Amino acid sequence: MDFDFSPEQLAVRDLARELFEKESPPSRLRELWSGAERDRSVWKALGQAGLLEITDPVDLVLVLEEAGRAALPEPIAETLAIAAPVLAEAGSDWVPRVASGEAIVAVQLGGAPFVVDAGDADLLLLERDGELHALPHDAFTATPVQSDDKARRLYAVNAHTGSETRIAGDAGVALDRGAAAVAAVLNGISMRMLEMTLEHVKTREQFGKPVGSFQAVKHKLASAHVRVESARAAAWYAAFAIGAGLPDRSLAASVAKVVAAEAEAIANAEALQCHGGIGFTWEHDLHMWMKRGKALEASFGTAAEHRARVAAHVLSEQADA
Amino acid sequence: MDLRYTDEQEAFRAEVRAWLRAHVPKERLPTVGTREGFDAHRAWEQELGRAGYGALHWPVEYGGRGADVVMTAIFEEEYAIIEGPPRITVLGRNLMGPTLMVHGTPEQKDRWLSRILSADDIWSQGFSEPDAGSDLAGLKTRAVRDGEDFIVDGQKIWTSYGTFSDWIFALVRTDPEAPRHAGITFLAIDMRSPGVEARPLVQVDGRAGFAEVFFTDVRVPATQVIGEVNRGWDVAMATLGFERDAPSAPAGRFERDVAELGSIARALGRDSDAGVRDTIGSLYAQALAYRWHTMRTLTRLARGERIGPEGSVTKVLWSELERDTFAAGRELLGPYGEVLSDEAPQTDPLRWHSKYWFSRAATIYAGTSEIQRNIIAERVLGLPRK
Repeated sequence: MDFDFSPEQLAVRDLARELFEKESPPSRLRELWSGAERDRSVWKALGQAGLLEITDPVDLVLVLEEAGRAALPEPIAETLAIAAPVLAEAGSDWVPRVASGEAIVAVQLGGAPFVVDAGDADLLLLERDGELHALPHDAFTATPVQSDDKARRLYAVNAHTGSETRIAGDAGVALDRGAAAVAAVLNGISMRMLEMTLEHVKTREQFGKPVGSFQAVKHKLASAHVRVESARAAAWYAAFAIGAGLPDRSLAASVAKVVAAEAEAIANAEALQCHGGIGFTWEHDLHMWMKRGKALEASFGTAAEHRARVAAHVLSEQADA
Repeated sequence: MDLRYTDEQEAFRAEVRAWLRAHVPKERLPTVGTREGFDAHRAWEQELGRAGYGALHWPVEYGGRGADVVMTAIFEEEYAIIEGPPRITVLGRNLMGPTLMVHGTPEQKDRWLSRILSADDIWSQGFSEPDAGSDLAGLKTRAVRDGEDFIVDGQKIWTSYGTFSDWIFALVRTDPEAPRHAGITFLAIDMRSPGVEARPLVQVDGRAGFAEVFFTDVRVPATQVIGEVNRGWDVAMATLGFERDAPSAPAGRFERDVAELGSIARALGRDSDAGVRDTIGSLYAQALAYRWHTMRTLTRLARGERIGPEGSVTKVLWSELERDTFAAGRELLGPYGEVLSDEAPQTDPLRWHSKYWFSRAATIYAGTSEIQRNIIAERVLGLPRK
């Protein structure tokens, strides 16, 4: 038993971290917040670095944590965790274009009302009546919807599906993959919010002392750290279970989403509380992570929906026993 | 990353499961708070020891099986799932034994280690005092040198298994003039020595599990000092490090307990209640996340790494999961929660009742949650002490 990452996997994580810092710094997030157009060069850079060729969920999970840490405004979870495996299994000729970063794919599953990045997508993967469809950009229209997180571009989609757009694949499995991937992104967001907060409370002084020396503040951050660490383990396990095709992969995905969303909600609350008034301003970067976190709490199934799935597992397992 | 168990580990799990199924007492043993109950628990531990399950993780040279952390964790998990009797050897096995292996003299090791393993000596831990719980260095029990002996006076409290234990490893103040941490000595004291009095304390859960221990002019040979005189703080920190590195509460226990919440919900006809299901879903998710968190820890330990202050993350996780699980059960039971008889429509209300109350101690013993959070904040997250 070895529940850790290989040096190669850690090297890919480091590469992702550097690349996200270079290609997608907070200043670019701010530009997107001010309405700047999407810049395809970022997605292409990810493709050139080989990050969009990752197929193993365990290889991917640390990259997704980094995407969260950077609040990367790109559909990396949707593309790599959901679209790429679905297209590969269906034998689609889109696979190389996705892997190279030439194509952007948007994903709509589980009756989600809005689709991230659909307006820029070359391909839309969507679920209708439990079946998967892949639509090139001329087969759907995407109308922008104002979102809370202005770097997360949402669209209402009008799509014409038919037998010609249908592709093989299991929408339930795709949703599990999405939930597990978003859990990893959420964990990265939580980590970054805690990092920012630690930096702040170590330097910000009140009553002649760093705020971080007060026990009330320490306990808030320790509590958040505890929950984030166990959520990371859950997302890693879900990635392993999905990659290995284990029977508990669906349960593991729901668990990962539940604990990641719960941990992120705590980290989100405590990060703002410990920043105090400074954190409540748009001038401070924190809110961009808080808003991404809040948005992703409901992405690919809310925590409540996934708790219900876990409970169904507990209660039905007993009926079988 | 590879989360499969080896064939050897799977075989060991099967062996342990079969042995425990055949040998774990079918009837619950009488409480350790009585002489009869304590002796029954000792007899059970002796049986475990004879079967080679006394202290799997101890090195072979000290009579253990030299099992790695994964095998040890497998045993602990199987033991927890089948709900084996509480291990009254835990303090000797996980704390005193490893401390002796590092800080004991050859004579001390010869004298005590094999008797810990065979459960012929049951140890208790004499760290806490009425005025020194979390603030361990505030301890006042004194030991004054007198020839070849120390004369010990003072009081320890909340001493698990203290009423009937054979030995106690205690921290005593040997230099009252020295700074708080510098005048403390780690001493092994025979509980049958004249002047030792252990009084059982009835716990909130209604059991007499721990004791207060009084020392009045107790003569302790200086050969029973572990480590150096006045350097006991360092020894105690090593002991607490073993506590942190010891296999923590096995995850299988929490999965079982949450599943039992499901049984109660079913018995009460509340298994379709959305609020109840939400609670069960949340707790089960946390229990599985805890399982995977402990796999991370086991991986590190298996490589020979120490866990250090991150061990506090594990303690907070399991102790609060335990507290929250039983709190949810108590709430679910509603008016049946206060009934101490078989009136409640589920299999074992008394068990749930006592476990609920005992779960309230989880965030206090082995370092309170507040102390754990201070450790995490200062030593993991790097926040300033003052």
